[in-house]
Amino acid sequence: MKRITSFPLTFVALFGALLCGGCGKSDPDGNTSPPSAPGAKKLNIGVAFETLQTEYWVAGFEAIKAELKKRDITMLEAVADQDASRQLQQVKTFITRGVDGIILVPKDAKTCIPMIRAANEARIPIVLFNRPADKTDAVSTAVVADNRTLTRDTVAYMIEQAKKTGTKHKAMVVLGDLGDINAIGRRDGFEDAVKGNESVIQVVSRVPSEWNQEKAQAGVANALQANPDISFIFTSSDFLFPSITSALKAAGRYKKIGEPGHVILGGFDGDATAYQMLKDGYLDATGVQDVYFEAQQSVQALLDRREGKTVGELILDPGFVIHQGNLNEMAPRMWGANIKK
Amino acid sequence: MAATPVTNLESRTTTRLRSLCLSEYLVLALTVLMFAALAPFTPGLGTSANLLNALGYLLPLFIVAVGMTLVMITGGIDLSVTSIIALTSVVGAKLMTSDGGGTPAIIGVLVMLALGAGLGALNGAVITMLRLPAFIVTLASMMFLSGFAVWLTQSKNIYGLPGSFLALGQRLPIAFALTAALGVAAHLMLRRTVFGRWLYAVGQNATAAHISGVPVRAMTFAAYVASGLCAALASVMLTGRLETGSPVLGREILLDIIGATVVGGTSLFGGMGKIAWTFFGVLFLTVLDNALNLLSLSQFSITITKGAVILFAAVLDAVRNRFVVGRS
Repeated sequence: MKRITSFPLTFVALFGALLCGGCGKSDPDGNTSPPSAPGAKKLNIGVAFETLQTEYWVAGFEAIKAELKKRDITMLEAVADQDASRQLQQVKTFITRGVDGIILVPKDAKTCIPMIRAANEARIPIVLFNRPADKTDAVSTAVVADNRTLTRDTVAYMIEQAKKTGTKHKAMVVLGDLGDINAIGRRDGFEDAVKGNESVIQVVSRVPSEWNQEKAQAGVANALQANPDISFIFTSSDFLFPSITSALKAAGRYKKIGEPGHVILGGFDGDATAYQMLKDGYLDATGVQDVYFEAQQSVQALLDRREGKTVGELILDPGFVIHQGNLNEMAPRMWGANIKK
Repeated sequence: MAATPVTNLESRTTTRLRSLCLSEYLVLALTVLMFAALAPFTPGLGTSANLLNALGYLLPLFIVAVGMTLVMITGGIDLSVTSIIALTSVVGAKLMTSDGGGTPAIIGVLVMLALGAGLGALNGAVITMLRLPAFIVTLASMMFLSGFAVWLTQSKNIYGLPGSFLALGQRLPIAFALTAALGVAAHLMLRRTVFGRWLYAVGQNATAAHISGVPVRAMTFAAYVASGLCAALASVMLTGRLETGSPVLGREILLDIIGATVVGGTSLFGGMGKIAWTFFGVLFLTVLDNALNLLSLSQFSITITKGAVILFAAVLDAVRNRFVVGRS
């Protein structure tokens, strides 16, 4: 009985000693290897993704992996399963291992700030892939798609197709998780494109998907029921297309371009589903994030920071719009087309 | 009919197996063995920086697991703990930032704790008064509270928390002291008080406990209040650590919480469990997770491994029950 009672107390004492031993230093530990001089040894880069649950993230992960391999850099990987607390621990684990750089896909713009600070304190350069951090004194570089401009251009193309029909279209926009700065940018880009074209486009529904396919399907189905004559749909991410097409099919509205009743469809990302829909003639256009460009720029920014070069806080990926008119020409650059192969 | 004689070898084997399964320190021994086995080829595993990092992750997990232990001792389960973490996170953050008029951190913390306890009380009240299964009640409250947290913030995180609040999650000595105080208090309560004995009695046989004069409903209710309170305390640390009030905070750690509690030896069938065991279980899962991350295994491998470990622990729990109380 005595042993059982005293054991937890012993453990408390042990951990307390560990705590006191480790807390005296401002840097985590003298055991953390300082970043190596360039060219001294094979570099280790920690890649921490929030999730690999969509094709885009998998494509991004593979693109970074390929880019690092091309440069003979060892990649250490960690996926947080959408848990910001776990991701913080994973980043700190990378720091403990003395990685030479960190590429981070944060869950959101705010929870990544302690992670960036931890990397800054350890003097390890950190680059954010595809999602920037909020304004902060913590130092990092973010490589992101120009969500607003690319969305605006994509929707502008869709509006041009709408104008050719000679009729006014009722429109639906499927929004992402508005806690995600990318979703906000795409929403704003949509609104930018629609502004001034009210004679052609009337937005009757804004569906909040929170990046959830089930929510998207329910929202689109409800919107189609409330407005059966919706003929223009933009989605903030192509990964929601299965939900949208399912709702359209249930309503008997899923028609190819040129068929009576075709709903002008547009998206963002450029995944394999969008590529197939383009090839099959259902999808009018999608804004493609150039994942290869973003991966290359992320790795380069990291290496430049290691060498002490000046690197901006933001590197924009302009992306491109792929549509029926340039499909063959642009498909090789579309990451979703390459997955299909 | 004469019983078939049991050989000495069978008897020794059975005795050793029983001792192993019933040993209080089985999980701790496995943790130490695992650590020793992995340390030589897991870079950084034994460094104090890594251990401190792992400790930072372990502390809030242990706090929630303490509450879960009390609930599981009574034979119940609380699936709503992660939603309580999220809701208390955003409510506290709203109060302490300009949204809520910049309430002092101490008030914010007290409100979070009170809210957590209150939500636990709601669970306990529904379970005891309506006599509904704990699984269903806490599953429903998990969904409701989770949705409410998202609605309250419109999916947005809340930033700009006061430094004094952030210290509760970021300063390891403070977080450790809070966790140790809670752990020791819960341990002593279970081991040294009538309240603790009543909790075990309820879990072992609620009917017999009732006949013996144990206030079964009150004990069950109290366990859920404690669980909600522990979840709120963990939320204080997690929110401080991430510097953000988040409506999805802790969403993915429910399996880790339940798994660590079961791995430690607290029985899913009720009536058996100790805070020390839960600590060993949390330690085991944290070391496992940490080591697998340092080995740079894919997340899928890590998830599969942890799932297998938790399944093994559940099987071991069933075997232990068979040895201890002859439950089938």
